[in-house]
Amino acid sequence: MTREEILKSFLADNLFVEMGYLKEGEVDSVRWANLPSNKIFQVIEIAIDGVVKNESQNVTEKKINQLLNQHP
Amino acid sequence: MILTSIELNNFMCYSGSNRFDFTEGINLIIGDNGYGKSKLFDAFYWVMYDECFNTSLKAFRTTSRLKKLIVSDKAIAETDDGTITTSVILTFHNVERDSIYILERRYQIRKYGEEIFEDAESEEIVRQKEMSILNSKVVTDPVKIEAIKKMILPDNIKPYMWFQGEQVESIIDFNKQDTLTQAINVLSNINRFDNIIELADSLKESSGKELNRKQRDLSKDRGESERLEIERQKLLEQIKQLDKQDLQVKDNLAMAEERSETLLNKQAEATKIRELEERRKAIEKNLNEVQFEFDSEQINLHKRMFTNKWVLKGTDNLFEEYSKKYNDFEQKKLQRQADLKAKVKAENEMIKEMQTRLPIDVPEPIYVQTMLDAERCLICDREAPKNSEPWLKIKELLDRSQMKLKKFEEEDQPLQNFSPDLKKLYQNGLGMSHLISRIDDDIADTFERIQKLSVRRKSLADDLRKIEEDINGLIADTSLNISDAENLLNEYTAQNELTRRSLIEANNLEHLINKKKEVLESINKKLSDLVVGDLPEYLKEKVKVLEEFFEVAHSTRKRVFNKLVQVLEAEANKHYQEMIQGNLSARGIIRLKELSNGKNYMPELVDEHGNVLLQLNTGNIILIKLATIMAIISARQGSRDTELYTLITDAPMSVFGEDYTIGFCKTVSKVYTQSIIMSKEFYRNEKLLKELFNDKEIKLGKVYMITPSIPENERSNRNSLSTNIKSLN
Repeated sequence: MTREEILKSFLADNLFVEMGYLKEGEVDSVRWANLPSNKIFQVIEIAIDGVVKNESQNVTEKKINQLLNQHP
Repeated sequence: MILTSIELNNFMCYSGSNRFDFTEGINLIIGDNGYGKSKLFDAFYWVMYDECFNTSLKAFRTTSRLKKLIVSDKAIAETDDGTITTSVILTFHNVERDSIYILERRYQIRKYGEEIFEDAESEEIVRQKEMSILNSKVVTDPVKIEAIKKMILPDNIKPYMWFQGEQVESIIDFNKQDTLTQAINVLSNINRFDNIIELADSLKESSGKELNRKQRDLSKDRGESERLEIERQKLLEQIKQLDKQDLQVKDNLAMAEERSETLLNKQAEATKIRELEERRKAIEKNLNEVQFEFDSEQINLHKRMFTNKWVLKGTDNLFEEYSKKYNDFEQKKLQRQADLKAKVKAENEMIKEMQTRLPIDVPEPIYVQTMLDAERCLICDREAPKNSEPWLKIKELLDRSQMKLKKFEEEDQPLQNFSPDLKKLYQNGLGMSHLISRIDDDIADTFERIQKLSVRRKSLADDLRKIEEDINGLIADTSLNISDAENLLNEYTAQNELTRRSLIEANNLEHLINKKKEVLESINKKLSDLVVGDLPEYLKEKVKVLEEFFEVAHSTRKRVFNKLVQVLEAEANKHYQEMIQGNLSARGIIRLKELSNGKNYMPELVDEHGNVLLQLNTGNIILIKLATIMAIISARQGSRDTELYTLITDAPMSVFGEDYTIGFCKTVSKVYTQSIIMSKEFYRNEKLLKELFNDKEIKLGKVYMITPSIPENERSNRNSLSTNIKSLN
């Protein structure tokens, strides 16, 4: 299972449309390469990447924390 | 990867050198029970895993335990002194790379006269040809050997690709609720989603802690915040514990529900077995009583010859004759008595008359004697010559003096008087004549009673035989014996009770958890109200993002898993429908039912309206399991398992009828690029074999017939046993 396939599985969740992160029908056009620059997508991207690369959970957690701890 | 051949040398019943070649498609090895099919399966397994399946123990045993049992008895018997080597060689061809892998396992024993020395372990030799045209090289690196073996058959795939018919039950075990879930976990990438869930859980927890720390830092009442935090932590711990309990209860509930449902399949049969068994016992008791009565009647039949005087049957005329004769005798006796009385009376009267003319002893006897001697009457003085009338008259006077009156009793009495005995006999006969007249009726009554008992006994014995046949039929169909049926019914009741109790417990726990969560909410609100100033924006966003990530990670995992289950269900149904094509009475759709703990699934058979089909027989259950096993393999889209690995199975069809055999072969032929199947279904079944060869939907590989070298009845002595292999195509 590639990271693109895992991402597709995530994006199929209604939550993204319900929360306004994606518009109806937009899901199909989203690819790994053109993910919207939103924190939730970035978190998912890091998580999927970590799992596919068999990264340790601590390392992935650190990367996500780094991303989310950035002050504007 | 195609398994191109297996060579067996002195392996179990395969004495000497033996070889099977295989191609793509369905390869069949046909033979009756005990002809060496399972030993062939053992040979494949032995090479790869150094183990053989022990059918009696239903477990695999290593070479170090089996030792000389692996070696052909014939090879041992024919060797006086020397080494006997058993070896099996598997050759695999990776068609894409054109590389060849040759796996060999050897085992040796040494024989000196009657003494046998066994090697402790077997030896594994792996050779590889980078290209089929090149020479092979021995692979010595254990890591590389392992890698080659994993490539031939990965461990997670093994249970679904190499199995014996008997193992089908345990591969998909309806008693283990997580069997399917485990299979899905192993054979899919769902673990990647599980890893993401773990990450999301951890991030949510740490961000929550970070938020709480910040809230306490900004609190207007640090003491109150600290107290609330302690209370909050306590509550969190309690909720965690309750969640664990809830999960456990739901697991128990799911297990109990599943078990109940599995038992429900057999509950009706078990109830029937129990009812039949109760009826059987009642009939048996009745039969024993009737048998006892019958035996008693038989024994009494002989006694009645004397007790009921049957021995006198037909003697009624004897009594009549005797009676008549006795009557005559009595008449004659009376007549004779009367005659005698008359005679005595006449004689007495004559004596009396004589006494009236001259008194007795007048003249005195001495004078009378003188007159007789003198032959002259001295009274009248006349001559009386001897024996003349006057002389005799004189003599009468002498005799008369000796005469006296007779009594009747003195007259002519016999020495032994049988009259009373004869009378007694008559009287006895009279008494018995009533009995004798009833003997025929008595005999008829007795025989009628025996006849009735015999009829009843036969009827009860027939009932008993029929009921035993019914019970045995049910036992064979359901694989339940009488005590199993009893246990099953007891367990069914117990599982239902457990389900009921678990439901109540789960509801109570859910209620309690909700209450605790309400309290937690209120504490969170209080903590939030105590905050003076604003929490950092980045932190608020972080908590929000990670909560969303948590939710999406969980829901995605569930969705992906459910989709896998749906695919699996569809695949299982496709295979099931193909396999049951040949049987018009077979029906149903496989449904993978989600258990109440929301984690596990179990296969069940439903009708077109979704109603569960109960009372499945063992054949149905095995078909569902086989369909599910095939689905586990074929549902792995893109994994190419069915192209990469060979299905090797021994007697997978033995439990279901031959109606399903061709369907099974078609399905296997479609699902697997290569399969090697040991089967007895085609043995001595020309029609089925013809169908196999002519069916265009079956991609047939090589077909072999195996037979033992010696007849079955001589096989107790295995010292000359080898296996004949005949290629049928």
